[in-house]
Amino acid sequence: MDGPVKKIMVYVDGTEESITAAQYGICLARATGAEFYALYIVNTRALSDLVNAKIFLQAEEEEYKNDLEHDADRYLNHIKQMAREKGVAVKTLKSSGSVNVEIKNNVNENEIDLLIIGELSKIRSRRDELYNETERAMRSVNCSVLIAKDEERIWSLYNQLV
Amino acid sequence: MAIVDLISTSVVRVPLKSKTKTEVIRELVDVLDKADKISDKESVFKAVIARENMGSTGLEKGIAVPHAKTEKVKNLTLAIGVAPDGVDFDALDGEKSKLFFLLLAQPNQSGPHIEALAEIARITRSQSFCRLLVNAATPEEVVELFRED
Repeated sequence: MDGPVKKIMVYVDGTEESITAAQYGICLARATGAEFYALYIVNTRALSDLVNAKIFLQAEEEEYKNDLEHDADRYLNHIKQMAREKGVAVKTLKSSGSVNVEIKNNVNENEIDLLIIGELSKIRSRRDELYNETERAMRSVNCSVLIAKDEERIWSLYNQLV
Repeated sequence: MAIVDLISTSVVRVPLKSKTKTEVIRELVDVLDKADKISDKESVFKAVIARENMGSTGLEKGIAVPHAKTEKVKNLTLAIGVAPDGVDFDALDGEKSKLFFLLLAQPNQSGPHIEALAEIARITRSQSFCRLLVNAATPEEVVELFRED
């Protein structure tokens, strides 16, 4: 495959925006022949922060970690299914830790040249800029980043793939 | 999703009328019910109380973050209450709690739920911001503070 994009990775966090991003990734992978990866990160950093802040009990940390592991499998399987329906092979990846750090690590380790993320929340305060993990990842990864927007158009593109 | 996206004047109560922990939870659940954010307020109330019975979410320095997973919300939902005189919420430091963040999520929304709680934890680290919230006189002021910060 000689195109400009050889490896596409979509970051999936369970939001509708990230599922739309995955659909767009599938469309692009089909069109370019690029390898397609889907990444879910179990945000254990946030869990630790919540225990340290005493918002979570130790038992809750374990319970929510299990929930997140379960979510990871569910969403990655969902993407596998979506990709399979459109004849695209997908390599699913699951990591644990801090979201922005793990996105960057997975981009580097897998030599990804295009990261796709879902539409970001509107910036409504300075704090949003500082703390949005996906936005931090977007700023720090070494590859190009595509933000998937316009859910209806993407759904239509995805639907038209045969 | 950013916390600010969850906040509107309809989910902020300033000042809270309640004088006890149970009343505060009941009042915030009522706020969400009136804002049409939950489908069964009694069930939501019980879920929050059940979590509190495992250990108080009254933190230090006047902050409390009651939370629960429940099927009775469609999306991640937040209510904010301000009690300038403080309410005994069994806080870790024994002080009265003045700022309450009640967060509810569907059981299958653990990712966004955790991120929202983590954002609340970060926000409440700023004592000056919390002071401004406690001194807010109206829900509009609270919403504005989150947008300005």
